Amino acid sequence: MTTLTDTPPPVAAAHAPAGAGLDLLGWLATTDHKRIGIMYGIAALGFFLAAGVMALVMRAELAVPGLQLVTEQGYNGLFTIHGTAMMLLFATPMVAAFANYLIPLQVGAADMVYPRLNALSFWLFLFGGLVVLSGFLVASGPADIGWTGYPPNSTLPYSTTTGTDLWIVGLLLTGVASILGALNFVVTIFTRRAPGMSMFRMPVFTWSMLVTSILILYAFPAITAALIMLLLERRFGAEFFNPSAGGDPVLWQHLFWFFGHPEVYIIALPFFGVMGETFPVFSRKPLFGYRAFVLATIFIGAYSMTVWAHHMFTTGAINLPFFSATSFIIAVPTGVKFFNWIFTMIGGKLWFPAPMLWSVGFLFTFLFGGITGVLVASAPLDFQFQDTYFVVAHLHNVLVGGSVFAMWAGITFWFPKFTGRRLNEPLAQAHFWLWTIGFVVTFLPQYQLGAWGMPRRYADYPAAPGWTELNVVSTIGSFCIAASVVVFLVAVVEALRRPRDAGPDPWQANSLEWWADSPPAHHNFRSLPPIRSARPVFDARVAAREAQRGGAEDRP
Amino acid sequence: MSRRPGWRAIGGLALGFAVAGCLPAPVTSQGREVARLYGTFLLIAALVAIVVLGLAIFAILRYRGAPGDDELPPQVHGNLKFEALWTGIPLVTIVGLLVLTVLVLNSFNDAVRANASVEVRVTGFRWGWRFVYPNDGVVMEGIGAPGPELYVPVGENVRVTMTGEDVIHAFYVPQFLFKKDAIPGHENQFAFTVDEAGRYGGQCAEFCGIYHSRMPFTVVAVPRAEYDEWLAANRGLAPSLATPEPSLVTAAPTQLAPEATGPYESVEPTVQPSVTTSP
Repeated sequence: MTTLTDTPPPVAAAHAPAGAGLDLLGWLATTDHKRIGIMYGIAALGFFLAAGVMALVMRAELAVPGLQLVTEQGYNGLFTIHGTAMMLLFATPMVAAFANYLIPLQVGAADMVYPRLNALSFWLFLFGGLVVLSGFLVASGPADIGWTGYPPNSTLPYSTTTGTDLWIVGLLLTGVASILGALNFVVTIFTRRAPGMSMFRMPVFTWSMLVTSILILYAFPAITAALIMLLLERRFGAEFFNPSAGGDPVLWQHLFWFFGHPEVYIIALPFFGVMGETFPVFSRKPLFGYRAFVLATIFIGAYSMTVWAHHMFTTGAINLPFFSATSFIIAVPTGVKFFNWIFTMIGGKLWFPAPMLWSVGFLFTFLFGGITGVLVASAPLDFQFQDTYFVVAHLHNVLVGGSVFAMWAGITFWFPKFTGRRLNEPLAQAHFWLWTIGFVVTFLPQYQLGAWGMPRRYADYPAAPGWTELNVVSTIGSFCIAASVVVFLVAVVEALRRPRDAGPDPWQANSLEWWADSPPAHHNFRSLPPIRSARPVFDARVAAREAQRGGAEDRP
Repeated sequence: MSRRPGWRAIGGLALGFAVAGCLPAPVTSQGREVARLYGTFLLIAALVAIVVLGLAIFAILRYRGAPGDDELPPQVHGNLKFEALWTGIPLVTIVGLLVLTVLVLNSFNDAVRANASVEVRVTGFRWGWRFVYPNDGVVMEGIGAPGPELYVPVGENVRVTMTGEDVIHAFYVPQFLFKKDAIPGHENQFAFTVDEAGRYGGQCAEFCGIYHSRMPFTVVAVPRAEYDEWLAANRGLAPSLATPEPSLVTAAPTQLAPEATGPYESVEPTVQPSVTTSP
């Protein structure tokens, strides 16, 4: 045992040629899961910044009634690409970024099972995303159909811009990228776990990614098929969605949401997994109810395939009680997770560096997203809220208040692992507070606007009592969010200018990635601790402390 | 509203916190049911939020580690009783919420099946609405703002059969607390009973293209006698049903009516959208 207690001596990363500045060719040709993960992350953050700027333009336009900055066509393009980019070019690839970097490390493997497929997946995603954005270069502008792309409005007589075709083709490429990536994650998790790592000793992030990857394999083929049908309809004379030729526009909505609702969980479950990593570390306790957490993850994954038509309550084409019921039920396993996180804190010794601040912030903001989710899951209430700012506020409350808060927790948590350096703590905390205040100020007023009946996807709105005030507030909040992102970028640059000094395990953490160097060497591990629980690095640390004290009298 | 923008913003923020989630006052029987359901949901939501946030705040305040304290807290891995409890209680709660939901849905369906004294066929098109009273030979049609008027008698069940002409639109009256999609190739039915006379602004709620925000309409609820007068005055004035090209002018001259209460009444008919629907 004592041999295992030594932390590995720091060595120069094997893949960084001495004296080389930026190893450009090495990055372009890489099949290393860590480099692919980092490229995924940087590209996703790039799309996040672009889509964020689009959001700022929209919020500036909406601050007061009337059209000031953009035309109606321009506005339609902005919210289409904003939604598409945030969902499919930022959130989904950000999941792939964490998964690529962390899964092999967390299961104690040297790399993914299919490294070349992994590289292909990244490049398909990057160029697919660029194809979507290239709509801004077309004379008639980008896709103007909303990220949901409902036909007939997205078919050729009604959406004439080539940008819509670029949107379809770009999303087809990124969809294939997601499917290939998910395949790789599943195979890696099933076949590359280190000796001793049974399924119920896997870190909860890896568990969440296993369920997420299976969801991707079910959900993305539906959107791939739907996009191909839409392309055939627009350019090759198909009539899938044209009622006058025997087609049905609602068919698209079924296919889209059969993908689209699992997609919400595809970008939520992995970040719930991140929360399952941070709360234990910063409470210095194991995750409360590990098995219940895993079972809840599996249940949410399976159940998320049954709720798609709650996006279609107002179509009159679905069974309302059935889809209300399935949507309500999914609140139960999500509630289980909430109590897992809170009871991990109870009885612990908490400390609050930036990753824990983000985790607690997640708990508060995501709760409101979850609760408003139960409201809109009730079909009669949805009749009022559907397609209003209430739904806009709800979905941002879930996706930003949930996934993105947890993403920042993950980025600040694993930043020392990715780079070998800790983020400057005051800057990281300023990022958190600015973001959180901006988030609340932006989206809280939108609940009220929606309850009053302000529809989404309106470039302009009437000066009804209270509407202008709340829109001004929302716009101010959005610029506060933008300021917080600037602080984050400053913190990253500041950290990267310092020498690597974080050490392998700066947070006294639990899972195997904290055994490797920071950043890990080319094939990750030179040794592994024994894996006898879900917290092998914790076990090794405790064993080392006992050995140091010369006995087991202090066993906790 | 002549205050300075800064004060307006602060006032707006205070307003947002104070009232976040308040519905407009409902004016239909169905809307009142939705408002009651919403009240119940909000109450339960508040209870859930108090319990969950209370526990979280308790944990954060009570269990802060002291700096330099190197001892581990007790390594508790779980508690099956607790876990059963917080699975079971939410499960029972949502079954209750589901029952309440289904009761309201059933009442909506009953209204559609019940006798209706007024039948209206609603058609949404880019970018306006057509309201046809098939039993009375009245057609109201309007493009852009202020849009056409849908006259209904107060206190009577009105049944709407709706479709879309080109793309999907949605018929939404905020004070009805209700919307429904107008889908090409589909016929959707719903029914409502307006309880209070008045003018209620409505709007398209399903994104339908460039002028999506410029196709409002107004529901005008009047006593039966006034409704009959209106029907008589508009019979035959209507544009021919055979004419597919919508005209920019509503068929009826605007009545002298009480002040509109919906937000969309205040839209000024400044820029009229183009009515071309072909590419």
